[in-house]
Amino acid sequence: MVKLEEYNILVIDENPDRAAIVERGLVESGYARVARIGTSHNLVERIQALAPDIIIIDLENPDRDTLEQMFQVSRAIARPIAMFVDQSDASMIQEAVSAGVSAYVVDGLRQDRIRPIVEMAISRFNVFDQLRRERDEAQAKLNERKLIERAKGILMKEKGLSEEDSYALLRKNAMKQNRKIYEIAQSVITAFQLEF
Amino acid sequence: MAEKVRLGFVPLVDCAIPVVARAMGFAEQENIDLELVREMSWAAIRDKLSYGVFEAAHLLAGIPIAARLGLGGVPVQHIVVPMALGRGGNAITVSTRLYQRMLEADPAAMHGPRGLSGRALKKVIDEDRAAGRPVMSFATVFPFSSHNYELRYWMAAAGIDPDRDVNIGVIAPPRMFDSLRNGWVDGYCVGEPWNQRAVFHGDGVIVALKDDIWPRSPEKVLGIREDWVNSSPETVSGLVRALVRAAEWADQPGNRSELAQMLSEESNVGAPYEILKASLGGRPVLRPGEAPTDIPDRHVFYRYTATFPWLSQGSWVGTQMKRWGQVPADSDLNSVVRQVYRPDLYRAAVADLDVAVPKHDWRVEGANDADDRSFVGPDSFLDNTVFDPEKVS
Repeated sequence: MVKLEEYNILVIDENPDRAAIVERGLVESGYARVARIGTSHNLVERIQALAPDIIIIDLENPDRDTLEQMFQVSRAIARPIAMFVDQSDASMIQEAVSAGVSAYVVDGLRQDRIRPIVEMAISRFNVFDQLRRERDEAQAKLNERKLIERAKGILMKEKGLSEEDSYALLRKNAMKQNRKIYEIAQSVITAFQLEF
Repeated sequence: MAEKVRLGFVPLVDCAIPVVARAMGFAEQENIDLELVREMSWAAIRDKLSYGVFEAAHLLAGIPIAARLGLGGVPVQHIVVPMALGRGGNAITVSTRLYQRMLEADPAAMHGPRGLSGRALKKVIDEDRAAGRPVMSFATVFPFSSHNYELRYWMAAAGIDPDRDVNIGVIAPPRMFDSLRNGWVDGYCVGEPWNQRAVFHGDGVIVALKDDIWPRSPEKVLGIREDWVNSSPETVSGLVRALVRAAEWADQPGNRSELAQMLSEESNVGAPYEILKASLGGRPVLRPGEAPTDIPDRHVFYRYTATFPWLSQGSWVGTQMKRWGQVPADSDLNSVVRQVYRPDLYRAAVADLDVAVPKHDWRVEGANDADDRSFVGPDSFLDNTVFDPEKVS
């Protein structure tokens, strides 16, 4: 019987940041043999060389179609099967699908040994999603601030208002129209970009 | 309150039917709020349908059969097929370099019927073998795809053994074109616009069209979970009606420009308008820099019973699964096809519409004297085979 930490785990992900987060999570949990690869045209050869017991791959990754065919025809590697084979574990399947994780596991590995690995991948995918959402929100906030700054600049130059008065004008219009300040700022910018 | 239906699709010309059903209001008329979700792989669509993320999906005809059998290391899934989504627009494209070699090796075959162009490939393979060169690589989109079966049919008809004389791998449709351009594969069989795109960019030549191999080979189908049929029969009927109406609209020559425009949007197929227009208008360009060729039946969405889920077409998929060793030769696939393909659902859904339905669910395929030919369209196999589904198990 292979010991837990001796499983060869392969993470395939086009997103190197997410792959790194998943890899670190697994290594920190005591799995020493974790490899990761991005998209590659010699996927088949690389997987054969790594001989993984478990493959973790983004559910949406187009390489899954390639992988599944390879598992079907290859004689060179043990044939992994989709993680979802354990149909009794409906809650984990739902969690995996909603997190966007899919896994292929060499037939015969015990489900209770696989479960913590897949759960780790699910939680790391969720963490990554959370980080990405926060980053996108921060980026959006920054963009909003930039729009407001530009609109203020336009009003100061074109209307001779002070900075405070420009901002107050944007805010007043936003409240009146029940819109966000940055939306009003966008309208101001658009209006002054028109050519007369 | 409209019923919400989430439908997953892959960016290909034959996602036209669901796209039109939403855009032109056919789904709304059936009180269905149709949400379309673009997916980049067949495995992802299959899993999301199976585990309830989608109610419906644009699927390869072989996937529901493979899912019922639990093939490919994936657990058994009960997906059924209430209708087909047109006849597709597959083609076999080879790299311009391979095309030149085929032309030199056997000019007669390359100027004869396109279905037999594989004979020139056979000569190239023989040359390579004599010179001790490695075998060439071809790609299709999924193990249980009509593309895989069509490519193999075309090769085998020319005396090529697809399992020995070439490598056949799988690449998801949106990645095909780059794989050819980068020289990772020498040729492929895929749906449009991924053939036309290679020709427009000068990287590939179309050597055979689906019509040259077997015009009636089953292509995409509507896949839904069996439990959803049982729990929401009215919605299933409404969805089928909306999609059949959409297919009728998409088939009108006068609507093809608008359809090309719709499909060119990034949220749908996301390919250039002129490439989609050439293909949808029935005037594809087969070789880079040449004039378009008139192929009016290049994309058929509605006529020729293109939305009817023929059991005989499902049965043919089964014979190809056996032929290429995907299932044991003694499997009783016709009884699986009967569970998966559900013409009864189609008939019930369109009963009150002015839609011509066939008398029978099965027919002998490829018989040139068939009296229903004007109804079902041309159906000759490139090797003039006659396929009688009752003579297989």
